[in-house]
Amino acid sequence: MSEVQWRSSGLPVTEAKDIKQSALTLDADVVIVGSGAGGAVAGYELARRGKKVVILEAGPYVPSKDFTERFPESLETLYQDYGGQTNKSGDLLVLQGACVGGSTVVNGCVCFRTPDFILQDWQRDFGLSDLTAEELAPYFDRVEKNLSIEENKEHEIARHGQLIRAGANKLGWSVKPFKRNIRECALTGHCLSGCKTERKQSMLVSYLPWATAHGARIYADTRVTEVLADGGRARGVRAEVTGHDGAKVADMTVNAERVILAAGAVQTPLLLLKGGLANRSGQVGKNFACHPSLYVSARYPKPVHAWRGAMLGVYVDEFLHPDKGGFVLEDGGAGLAELSMTAEPGTGEPFMQFMKDAKYLGGLVTLIHDHNVGTIRWEDGRKVIDYQLANSDFPSMKRALKAAARLHLASGAEEVYVPSSDKRVIRSEADIDGAIEGLDNQPQHLRMVSYHPQGSCRMGADPDTSVVNSDGETHDVKGLYVADASLLPTSIIVNPQVTVYALATRIAERMA
Amino acid sequence: MSSQQQTARRLSSAFQQGVTRRRFLKWGLVGSAGVAAAAAGGFALLRLSPLDDRPKPDWADGLSRQEYHLFDRARVALLPTVGTDLTPSDQVPVVRNVQGILGFMDAATRKDVATGLTLFDNAAVFFHGKRFVDLDEATARDYFDAWSRGNVVQRTLGTVIKQLTYTSYWRDESTWGPVEFDGPVSDRWGIAYLGNAPLPDQQSEQATEEGNA
Repeated sequence: MSEVQWRSSGLPVTEAKDIKQSALTLDADVVIVGSGAGGAVAGYELARRGKKVVILEAGPYVPSKDFTERFPESLETLYQDYGGQTNKSGDLLVLQGACVGGSTVVNGCVCFRTPDFILQDWQRDFGLSDLTAEELAPYFDRVEKNLSIEENKEHEIARHGQLIRAGANKLGWSVKPFKRNIRECALTGHCLSGCKTERKQSMLVSYLPWATAHGARIYADTRVTEVLADGGRARGVRAEVTGHDGAKVADMTVNAERVILAAGAVQTPLLLLKGGLANRSGQVGKNFACHPSLYVSARYPKPVHAWRGAMLGVYVDEFLHPDKGGFVLEDGGAGLAELSMTAEPGTGEPFMQFMKDAKYLGGLVTLIHDHNVGTIRWEDGRKVIDYQLANSDFPSMKRALKAAARLHLASGAEEVYVPSSDKRVIRSEADIDGAIEGLDNQPQHLRMVSYHPQGSCRMGADPDTSVVNSDGETHDVKGLYVADASLLPTSIIVNPQVTVYALATRIAERMA
Repeated sequence: MSSQQQTARRLSSAFQQGVTRRRFLKWGLVGSAGVAAAAAGGFALLRLSPLDDRPKPDWADGLSRQEYHLFDRARVALLPTVGTDLTPSDQVPVVRNVQGILGFMDAATRKDVATGLTLFDNAAVFFHGKRFVDLDEATARDYFDAWSRGNVVQRTLGTVIKQLTYTSYWRDESTWGPVEFDGPVSDRWGIAYLGNAPLPDQQSEQATEEGNA
């Protein structure tokens, strides 16, 4: 094994500007598509075991020092489709990182293990009998240690979190500090724009530099266009390297006996569908879920400054289990751009008054355990995220909204703004039912955002009903693996990054 | 239901029946908005506006003349600051920022958005006898409010125009002071860079693996 070459900052990445030839061919033991949660972890785990690893990332390499802490600009530089990726009807913004490090660069650092009852569902409904809490515990332990995942300390619970915690206590609801993957949080509140001073333990400052220390090579600006396979075995990938001006720089071929798709729950199935691979079950691109979430803002009598302090402090898990509602409420900070987009306080003066008082606004994020009703597919050469909130999920969404309104009021809010297309303001408990029961499950009625796309290449024991097995390998193509949130058979209610880290660790370990 | 809502529903229904291929655009913005709805086929101007002959600024090469005037009217209607200490919207490059956001769209989506904007502008003729660009501020706000309670096409277009306008205003640094928004802080606060996380201890990793085996 060659010498380990760890560097204290930065990442050795080959970018489009570094490539001088029009075609290049690489040989590797493993080629990994995507450098986010799944790709980076798998890359490190394989590289440190002596495998020759190449990681291809479609997005650019943006070093931390170049993060601007301006959210609208960050959307345009760090996110998929410049922050404009939506479902087919356009009422659900699907936010994914599109840069070296993927969504881990721009997420809110929230860490949960997969709930036990979700694992039990997977065992019962998908034959994943080996994915027990006991089996996964060592993998969770390992990633939690590696990524400095710890419960928020008191100073990391900002004013907005303190208010929500007090309200939950008043209602007798279970409320807990988040666990986050962060070292010495600087309390800037700019998580969604990337952590400029490298405190968030994203893949950009952890598993990717560790992978390169063990010899892995990373190529940015490199979009995989085809998975190569013959005789039922993976052989590598073809890709295109594109400059930041949009011009193609080079064609690339990577020959490898193992291919890991970790491009996320939208891009991974699109790649498989494009090549007609691993789809005997017909499930590639199906069963998409995404935790459609709402940001419920409320006006408090004293300043909150929702942009100050750690972005995410506490969460209410009172309703986590499906038998109790199947949703989570997360206290969430926000900047001006986000606040201006999420509420409908009225047009003109009412809106400007709402924003004039922005420092008095606090917010709650609702996450629901949605059913896997969506489909990812190609249509006329363009990707389609065909997902509408299911009618069966709409009651959960309304329950989550009502609970958020109650919690805000109990926390002392004077006005709660329902995130709908029309003006709905709640000022007392008596207003809640009227404001929320009148909502229709129609496109563009609610202002939804998804941070957690998942489920589009689901894992299962039966090749006729699932795409990959519990080791992440596709049933149909040997040597072709999936190691991102695509493989989650159901939505998991909670933020999925740690689940992906743990599964990717396990997949890599079993591959090696 | 108000007469304006009834008219809106009739218009939209007729509009949707009259098209051979209805497409809903995929496009989103920060909070949720994501779409402009539109239809195939041309959509001629229903009524001329005095603004049709007024030129757009030289920098507005990513907007049609009609789009420029639409967003400038939206700026005035949606971002009133009189009587407040908020930054007047004519001191913020709102329309220029809208142009920047629209510039990120792929060509097909951008074309659909253009069609949707034309619909929004022209449909006001049915309600108010004038195109949107010619409505006074109060009427323009009523028009937005009516569309927020309308059908999918109306909700979509109203939301998209609002969110484009809002984010194009609030992203500008000159708007932050009056509301005490801090903006970027790391450099200003002199926060140290932590660099890469230390490599995990390999012996510990190996011991964990053996435990798993």
